[in-house]
Amino acid sequence: MKLLNRCTLIAGAALAFAPLNSAFAQMLINGAGATFPAPIYQKWFYEYAKVDPAIRINYQSIGSGGGQQQIRAETVTFGASDGPMSDADLAKVPRKLLHIPTVAGADVLTYNLPGNPKLKVDGPTLVDLFLGKITKWNDPRLTGQNPGVSLPDQDIVVVHRSDGSGTTYIWVDYLSNISKEWETRVGRGTSVNWPVGLGAKGNEGVTGQVKQLPGAVGYVELIYAKQNKLPYADVKNAAGHYITPSIESVTEALATAKIPDDFRFSMVNPPGEKAYPIAGATWLLVYAEQQDAAKGRKLVEFLNWAMTKGESMAAALDYAPLPEAVQKRVLERIKTIKY
Amino acid sequence: MTAPNHRRRRFKNALMQVFTCVCAVLVTLPLFLVFFYLLKSGIGAVNGHFFTQLPAPPGETGGGMANAIVGTFELLGLAALVGVPVGVLGGVFLSEYGHSRLNWWVRFAADVLNGVPSIIWGMVVYGLIVRHGLGLNLFGAQVGLIDRGYSAWAGGLVLGLMMIPLIMRTSEEVLRLVPNGYREAALALGIAQWRTVVQIVVRTALKGIITGILLALARVAGETAPLIFTAFGNQFWNRSLADPIAALPLQIYYYAIGPYEDWHRQAWAGALVLLLLITVINVSVRVLTRDRFSQRHS
Repeated sequence: MKLLNRCTLIAGAALAFAPLNSAFAQMLINGAGATFPAPIYQKWFYEYAKVDPAIRINYQSIGSGGGQQQIRAETVTFGASDGPMSDADLAKVPRKLLHIPTVAGADVLTYNLPGNPKLKVDGPTLVDLFLGKITKWNDPRLTGQNPGVSLPDQDIVVVHRSDGSGTTYIWVDYLSNISKEWETRVGRGTSVNWPVGLGAKGNEGVTGQVKQLPGAVGYVELIYAKQNKLPYADVKNAAGHYITPSIESVTEALATAKIPDDFRFSMVNPPGEKAYPIAGATWLLVYAEQQDAAKGRKLVEFLNWAMTKGESMAAALDYAPLPEAVQKRVLERIKTIKY
Repeated sequence: MTAPNHRRRRFKNALMQVFTCVCAVLVTLPLFLVFFYLLKSGIGAVNGHFFTQLPAPPGETGGGMANAIVGTFELLGLAALVGVPVGVLGGVFLSEYGHSRLNWWVRFAADVLNGVPSIIWGMVVYGLIVRHGLGLNLFGAQVGLIDRGYSAWAGGLVLGLMMIPLIMRTSEEVLRLVPNGYREAALALGIAQWRTVVQIVVRTALKGIITGILLALARVAGETAPLIFTAFGNQFWNRSLADPIAALPLQIYYYAIGPYEDWHRQAWAGALVLLLLITVINVSVRVLTRDRFSQRHS
């Protein structure tokens, strides 16, 4: 019997945490979705817990596709996605869903070459790389754009994402934008039928593959490349300049992008002189009419804070904040949320 | 005359001995490799903050997994609430009561359930509980038991469901080891059957049953996939079991796929703590079973 007592004691101790915790009433708002903005969102929710101690906002990065599905199923109060939802997907949502843009980031071309020199590429070269038409590193189109860099006579191994991802969406959105062939053969989406290459899961998977395979080339988010000290290429923009991906060049791209009234915009290949061409925004997905009045009110308060104070925290974490004009437009839209 | 043959046999014998010895080492090698690798990569981030603080956002130093460690214990507690009564009573039924044809089906079902991948359990609980909530219709009045959405309840439930077939089968096995003479003696003394079962049979086999429970807990403690669909994760303290809750495997997963070096270090540390937790459970199993055998032999 002693043993049994001891066991109930242990089980009791484990469960004792529960009532202890619930002693303080506190509202929890749940959100889920895109992985790319997860660090800045985590920062925002951490800081916002100090601004309004009565609520906690819990965000789990389950991927953009997951975010869209969970907000549709209403298992979370808000969703998040790196690509705007399509008209077909929006039609399946039970009520009107708003896209609230938050920050923007860039996709970069990373590679594994001896000495990892800085490379320059233009759009058509990228298309042909990912269509499998350029197969050697010393292809004249690559050497022509990179005078002074000695590119080896080595096979190119293309690495792409195997999972659905907003990073992929931005990448293929750009390739579709500049190439009719890509648009018709492969098209846009969070996952596509790749003509060539190896699949890898997540930014970390692509990073790992590229690091392991000499001659490999792949695309990852700028933050990922920077944090992991990967080499990445400058890309020729619509104005004809080779642009290094950075917060500044993404901010330029945002400033010159056309943003429609529903905020579902693509910002690839913008006209700006200093704009990096392969960038995209990320969105929070919020119902225009909140079901839970208390949570709805707190969510709107948070969104207002995010669009003002929150935006100023973006650059420190390598995200490009929205231009002020866009912030104002978003704030106007947040006012229309009913609860 | 037989010398060459004899030598060949001795050679064969030695060869096979070496071979089996190498295989035995190979079995234990991964455990040591995992342990030392985790120790090497994770020990640097295991400090006071790790056990006492909430996760910090990127760019801030410090931060820990206190909420995930407590969350894992809470989830295991809830899982035990679901898995232990059903599993043990099911095992008692199979061993003490039961009907041979029914028993065959119950055992078959338990064995099939044991082989179901954990992610399927997660999807089932997601579909049944998280998507729609759980309610009872009592005389026309709707009584909500679990609200729609991710919650600690759903996470505990999924782990508990996974434990049921494990506990049931081990409980049955150890209850069957109790000699029939005990039951017959008790019944012959006029003790009621329920009393025989509770006070003689179950009590005799108690250590074995607890061993089974602990092994089942160790087995589900490291589950990640079913928790993504149910417990969801939480970067803050869980204040209510109706809210999402953090768990070590979930936190490790999210940190491991993140871009930051510091997150990777914390993920290693989390993995180390999780492995230690499971090792502690397994060691207590060894201690319990050693007790059992020493008693039996004395």
